[in-house]
Amino acid sequence: MKKYYRCYVCGDIHFGVKAPEVCPTCLVKNAYVEISSDEAERTSRPTQTTMTRTEFRAAIERFAEKNEFQVNADAAKVETLFDGIFANEQNHGLKYCPCRLRTKDFNEDLKLVCPCNFIIHETYKGKEDGECWCGLFIRRKK
Amino acid sequence: MLVRAFHKEEKVSKLIMFHARECPHCRAMMPHVDRLEKEEKVKFERLEVWHDEKNADLMRSYRPVIAPKCGGQLRTPTFFCPETSDVLCGEVPYDQLKDWALKQG
Ligand code: SF4
Repeated sequence: MKKYYRCYVCGDIHFGVKAPEVCPTCLVKNAYVEISSDEAERTSRPTQTTMTRTEFRAAIERFAEKNEFQVNADAAKVETLFDGIFANEQNHGLKYCPCRLRTKDFNEDLKLVCPCNFIIHETYKGKEDGECWCGLFIRRKK
Repeated sequence: MLVRAFHKEEKVSKLIMFHARECPHCRAMMPHVDRLEKEEKVKFERLEVWHDEKNADLMRSYRPVIAPKCGGQLRTPTFFCPETSDVLCGEVPYDQLKDWALKQG
């Protein structure tokens, strides 16, 4: 089961099945101590919690940059998808995929939060012109 | 006197299209659905699932039938025939949608 961990040096929060050996922020070794989800929520609340479309866009561009895929160059399509992603966040709490429906099983639905692990989608995996199910991310041309 | 028009009632199969307002595949399929309804004896009930919880619940209720045929998930668009439990999902060419729809009759 996933739990929360806090770096006792710089306060980074990690959510995972085990604590990272080295803190990626302050590089201290064995710095993570387990905390409750409530403490994690309270410690992270003062940081910025909302993200504008521009910020989300920048975040996924940075994310794609180091990977083998890119954000689709079809601007109209991306705008439509952003409309859906942000509407879903507002109406249903998380940035759920606009081209799939949540099941209402929270853990199952975490797989639908954008960006999802689309490299396993049959629309992407092993395909030269692969794309995520919605077409937000596409494989970068070689 | 009761006058009855005796014409053979044309069978129109009831099909559902589960779609989402901001789903590009759904947008791409809409003109195909319009054309199919115009050219064939087919009628789709178009149910939007991200902005209408009743429709979403209906789609979820068919999850055991739909999901195994759509990569284990509830994807949009999903074309579904409640009578035959047959499913077609995703963006497909017009002819594929037509063949699928006519097969349900
Ligand atoms: S399929 Fe694409 S748009 Fe949908 S959640 Fe995954 S990455 Fe986001």
